[in-house]
Amino acid sequence: MSETATHAADPIEELKNTNTGVENKKMAMWAFLASDCMFFGTLISTHLIYRKIYPTVVEPTDIFDIELTGFSSFILLMSSFLMALSVSAAHKKNIKSMRLFLAGTVFFGLIFLGGQVYEFTHFVHDKDLTLSSSVFGSTFYVLTGTHGVHVALGVLWLFSWLVFSYTKKFKWVHAIDIETAGLYWHFVDIVWIIIFTAVYLVEYL
Amino acid sequence: MKWFKYIWIGILFLITAISIPQCMHTGVEPSLVNKSGYQSALDPQGPVAANQLQIFYITLWVTIFLFVTVGGALAYSIWKFRLRKGEDPNYIPPQSHGHPLIELSLVIGSAALLVIIAIPTFYGIVFKNTLPDYAGEDVLEVNVTGYQWWWGFEYPEHGFHTANELVFPAGKVVKLNLISNDVIHSFWLPKLAGKVDLIPGQENKMWIQADEPGYFWGQCAEFCGDSHAYMLFRAQALEESEYEAWIARQQEASVVDGFFPADSGDYDPDLVNQGSLLFMANCARCHSVDSKIKGMGPNLAHFASRTSIAAGWLENETENLEHWILHPDKVKPGNFMWYGFPKPDDPKGEPLMEGLKDANLTEDDAKALAAYLYTLK
Amino acid sequence: MSTSQSTYGIWNRPLKKTGIVGFLTTVDHKKIGIGYAIGALFFLLVGGVEALIIRLQLAAPEQNLISAETYNQLFTMHGTTMVFLAVMPLSAAFFNYIMPLQIGARDVAFPRLNALGLWCFYAGGIIVNLSWFFQAGAPDIGWFGYAPLTSKQFDPDIGTDFWIIGLQILGIASLAGSFNFITTILNMRAPGLSMMRLPVFTWMTLVTSFLIILAFPPITIALVELMFDRHFGTHFFEVAGGGKPILWQHLFWIFGHPEVYILILPAMGIISEIIPVFSRKPLFGYPLVVFSGAVIGFLGFAVWSHHMFTTGLGIVATSAFAFLTMLIAIPTGVKIFNWIGTIWGGRIQFKVPMLYALGFIWMFMMGGFTGIMHSSPPVDAQQQDTYFVVAHFHYVLIGGSIFALLAGIYYWFPKVTGKLMGESMGTILFYTIFFGFNIAFFPMHILGMSGMPRRTHTYRIAAGFEDPNFWSTVGAFILGIGIAAVVIQVIYSCYKGKPAGENPWDARTLEWATSSPPKEYNFGYTPVINARDQAWESKYGPEEKKMGKIAPDEEHGIHMPDQSWWPLILSFGLFIAGMGVIFHNQPMAALVPFLSEEATISLFHLTVPGLALTFVSMYMWALEGPGGYHLHPDPEELE
Repeated sequence: MSETATHAADPIEELKNTNTGVENKKMAMWAFLASDCMFFGTLISTHLIYRKIYPTVVEPTDIFDIELTGFSSFILLMSSFLMALSVSAAHKKNIKSMRLFLAGTVFFGLIFLGGQVYEFTHFVHDKDLTLSSSVFGSTFYVLTGTHGVHVALGVLWLFSWLVFSYTKKFKWVHAIDIETAGLYWHFVDIVWIIIFTAVYLVEYL
Repeated sequence: MKWFKYIWIGILFLITAISIPQCMHTGVEPSLVNKSGYQSALDPQGPVAANQLQIFYITLWVTIFLFVTVGGALAYSIWKFRLRKGEDPNYIPPQSHGHPLIELSLVIGSAALLVIIAIPTFYGIVFKNTLPDYAGEDVLEVNVTGYQWWWGFEYPEHGFHTANELVFPAGKVVKLNLISNDVIHSFWLPKLAGKVDLIPGQENKMWIQADEPGYFWGQCAEFCGDSHAYMLFRAQALEESEYEAWIARQQEASVVDGFFPADSGDYDPDLVNQGSLLFMANCARCHSVDSKIKGMGPNLAHFASRTSIAAGWLENETENLEHWILHPDKVKPGNFMWYGFPKPDDPKGEPLMEGLKDANLTEDDAKALAAYLYTLK
Repeated sequence: MSTSQSTYGIWNRPLKKTGIVGFLTTVDHKKIGIGYAIGALFFLLVGGVEALIIRLQLAAPEQNLISAETYNQLFTMHGTTMVFLAVMPLSAAFFNYIMPLQIGARDVAFPRLNALGLWCFYAGGIIVNLSWFFQAGAPDIGWFGYAPLTSKQFDPDIGTDFWIIGLQILGIASLAGSFNFITTILNMRAPGLSMMRLPVFTWMTLVTSFLIILAFPPITIALVELMFDRHFGTHFFEVAGGGKPILWQHLFWIFGHPEVYILILPAMGIISEIIPVFSRKPLFGYPLVVFSGAVIGFLGFAVWSHHMFTTGLGIVATSAFAFLTMLIAIPTGVKIFNWIGTIWGGRIQFKVPMLYALGFIWMFMMGGFTGIMHSSPPVDAQQQDTYFVVAHFHYVLIGGSIFALLAGIYYWFPKVTGKLMGESMGTILFYTIFFGFNIAFFPMHILGMSGMPRRTHTYRIAAGFEDPNFWSTVGAFILGIGIAAVVIQVIYSCYKGKPAGENPWDARTLEWATSSPPKEYNFGYTPVINARDQAWESKYGPEEKKMGKIAPDEEHGIHMPDQSWWPLILSFGLFIAGMGVIFHNQPMAALVPFLSEEATISLFHLTVPGLALTFVSMYMWALEGPGGYHLHPDPEELE
C-alpha cells in the first residue's frame, strides 16, 4: 500500500508544505518573537517599576530631547513601511525594487541608530546621566541599549541580504528569508513604539 | 539473582522500618524543661504559631484523606489488575478510553477539598498580617535589624539597643519592625510565629505573643552568606514584673566614664581594668557598651545579663567567651569580628574597620576581656 | 549518495559519520539526543557527589568535615547542576531522540540549530563547573542567587560570575532547542497525525518548549542586569544606589516557577507513555491529560509569588497567589486520576519502566500533598526555607522527574541501542533507589517542622535534629549507590545487552514502528497515521486504523541535511566571550596563574574576540546553508 511522494513545482510553495501551512523559518521566527516579547517585557517592567518607586530622583523631561527622539522614532516606523515594500517586491520577484527598499530600510535603520548614539553621548556628557548615576540611568540605558542592539543586528542582517542579493547564489526561494528578517524588523519597530511610550512620552503626561 | 533480590529488598525495608520511628520522636515533643534547645513549630507557644499549626493540621488531614482514597484506589488497582502467574502476558484487556462523567466529578471533588483549605488560609493570612483587636494600644514595639550574622534589637519607646536576645513580657502583643542592614535575612521563632524576611530598603512587620513566660530559640531562615547557619538568637518572655526590672536595668549605664565598669564584682579589679583597656583598643571601634548607642557590631551593654554569645550559637560561659574572643573565625566562618569590616565599594581591599586577625590577642588578654565583659551587668 | 557541495565554507563540510568528527559535527537528532544524555548523566553524578558530601557534613550535629564556605558552594552547585545540567538536559535528550520519531519526522526543523543547543549546553555546563578551579571557588549564593548577596559588595569573588555567564549560555541552549521543537511539532508531523493524535510525550514537549521560551527571558534579563551591576556599575539590585533586591526575586521566580513545570511536565509525558504500554490499555481520558498539562503550564506563570510569601507582599497579593497556587492541584490531580484510570481494568506487567512509573505516581503524590500544604501562606510561614521544603521538592524532582527519567531510560533504551537492559538487575536497582530515596527524604519533613532551616552548614546538638539527619544521610548513600549503579547498568547494557527487536514492550506509539536503533533517516517511508496509538493499532487494530506508507521519490530518495562545524565553533565563541566577561577587570594572573603581570583583563582580551568568532560562525553558518544529500533506503524497508 505504498504511494509515492510528489514534489511541488514552486520551491516557495514547497516550503509552505507543512502541517500549518506556515514555513518552518517563519514559524521559528514567530516563536523567537514571542520569547523576545518576554525579554522586552521584563526590561520595560523593570523600568516602569523603578519609575513608580523613585519618581523624583531624576527629572527625565530635563534630560530627554523629545523632538529628536520623536523624529528618529518616526524614521524607524517609516523603515518598517519600506521593509514591507521590500518583502512584497521579493515575492513579486522584482529584484530592483527589492534592493532599493532594502537599502532604504537599512539607511533609515542607520539614521535611527545614529540618533541613539547621539542621544547617549549627549546624555552622558551634557546631562550626567550614566549607567551608574541613578537607577533611572541603569534602566534607561539597558532597556534602550538592548533595543539598539536589536536594531543594529537587524540592520546587519538586512544589509547582508542586500549584499547577498548581488551574488549568483541568490535565488527567489530566499524571499522567505527576507520575509523572516522583515518579521523581525517589524517587531523591533513595534517594540520601539512601546518603549517610546513607556520611557519617553509617559514623562510628558 | 532471585534470592538476592528478595533479601536485598528485605534489608532495605528493614532499614526503612528502623529509621521511621527513630526520626518521628526527634525534636517534636514539647519539653517542659526550660532552655531545652528545641525550636519546633509543632510545639506552638503563642497565638500566631498556634494558628499556623492549626491550618497545617487541616491541610494534613485533607491530604491524608486524599492519600487514603487516591492511594487506596491506586493500590487496589495495581493489585487487582496485575498480571498473575500463568496468565497470558499477551492478553489484551478491553481498550476503554475514558469516561467524562467520572473525570468531571473528580475535578469537582478536588476543587471542593481545596475550599476546605482555602477558607482558614485566608483567615490565617489576615490574622498574621494585622495586629489583634484585643491588643489595642497595649503593644510593645521592637525594631529588629538583621546584620551578617547577628541581630540588633532596638526598643524605641525606651530608647535603648540590645543584640541577639529579644526580651518581652509574656501575654503581651509584640510588634516587630523588620529591616536589614546588608543582605536578606529572615526572622524565625518557630514556637511563636512563622518567618518574615528582613529585606534591605524595605520595612516588614509582624507580631508575636507568648502565652506563658518561656525561653525560645530563633534562627535566621534566609541564606545570608558564610555564617548563615550560625545566625541564631534567643528570645525570653518574662513575667510582667521581671520584664519591668529588665527594662529599668537596660536603661541604666553599665559603665562609668565611657568604658570603666562601676563595680568589678567577683573579678580582680586589675584584670578588669586591663580588660577595659584591651576593649578600648581592640573592640570599641565596632562594639558599644552604652545601650543608647547602636554601634557597628552587637551592642554589648549589660553583656553579663545575656544567656548566649556569638548570635545565639554559644552559651554565655567563660570558657566559650574566651574561645570566641580568641577564634571568632573558628566559631563563625567569614566573621567580620575576625577579618574586619569590609569597605562596601572595595570588599577585598583594606577593611573599613580592622578585625582581631592582626590583633594577636593572647589567652591572658582573652581572660581579661572576658572578666571585663562579665562586669557589664 | 551524492556528495555535498560547499563553496563558502572555509573547509569542506564534514562527511564522516563516525568517530570524534562525526560526533562533533553531527546534526542528527538522535546523536544529539545521546550527546545530551551523556552530559546529563555525567552532571547527575557530579551533582550527586556534591549532595553526598553535603549529607556527610550533616550526618552529625556541629561537625566540621567541610568548611561553611565549601558547604555553601556545594549546595549552590548541587542545585544549579541538578536543575540546569542534569534534569533539563536529560529531558532534552528525550525530546531530541524520541519526539521526531513519535511524529514520524526525518529530523527536527533546524538540525544545525539543534546541534548549537547541544554545544551551548556543554559550554554553559563547563563554565559553571570551571568555577571550582579559580580563586575562591564555586559560587556560594544559592541556586536562586538572591540579591543583594550576589552584589560585588557582599560577594567579590568571581564564582558568581561563572554562575551568571554559565546560566546565560545554558539559556541560549534551551531557547535554541525550544524554537526548534515548537516548529518541528507544529509543522513536521507525519500525514494524518493531527494534534489530538500526538503522543502525550510529544504534547508535553510542546508545552515545555513554550514554557521555556516564555520563562527564560525574565531570568536572562535578570542575569544581564546582575551582570551589569557587578561589572558596569548599574544599580538594579543594589540598595545603596536605589535598587530593590525584591525585584530579583520577582524576576527569578517568574522564571523559577515555570521552570518547576519545565522539569516535571516532560516527566509526566514519559509516565503517560509508559503506563498505557504496561497496562496494555490506551491512556484513560487522553484529551483531559493533554489539556491539564497545558493548564498546568499556563497556571505556572501565575503563581510565582508563592515562593515569596515571607517577603511581606501584603494581604491581597498573598491571598491571590495562595488561591491560584491551590488551583494547580486540580489539573495535577486530574493527571493522577487518569493514570489510575489507565491501570484500572488493564493487565499490569511489572517491567522495570512500569515499576518506576508506579513509583513516580506514589512519590509525586506525596510531593504534591506537601505542595498543597505550603500553598497556604500561614503554613508556609513555618515551612518556607526549612527542610520541609527540601523534602517537598526532592519528592517532586527525584520522586517525580528523576524517577520518570529513569523510567524513560529503561523504556527507550531498547529503541536507542537495540538492546535490552537486564530486568532482575533493573528491579533490584529500582527498589534500592525507591527505599534509599524515602529513607533520605522522608525524615526531612520532620526536620523542617521541628525547626531546621535549610542551607545551614550545621546545627546545634541541643536542637534535637540528629536522628533524622543521620538516617537521611544513610538513605542518601543508598540512593546514590542506586543511581550510580543504574548508570553502570546503562553502559554495561550498551555492550552486553540482549538484542531487543523493533518493539520489545508491545508499545503503542510511532517510534516503535521503526527499527531499533532507528536508521539515520528514521523511517524509510513516510508513515501515514490513522490512529492515536499507531504502533499498537497497526498490530491489533482494525484494517482502517493500520498505518499507511508513502514511499520516497524514486529519483531523489530521502533528503538528509549535511553535517557542520559551525554550531560547535559558534558555541566556542560564546564560551570565550563569556570567559572574558567573567574575568573582566581581574588581574591576568587570575586566569593564567603563571602570569604575574599587573595588567588586568579587559573586554578586548577575550570578549570581543569571542563575539567576533561568534559572528563569523553565524555568517559561515548562513553561507554554507543547510546543504544536503540524498539517500535511498533499502527497498526491503519500504515493505
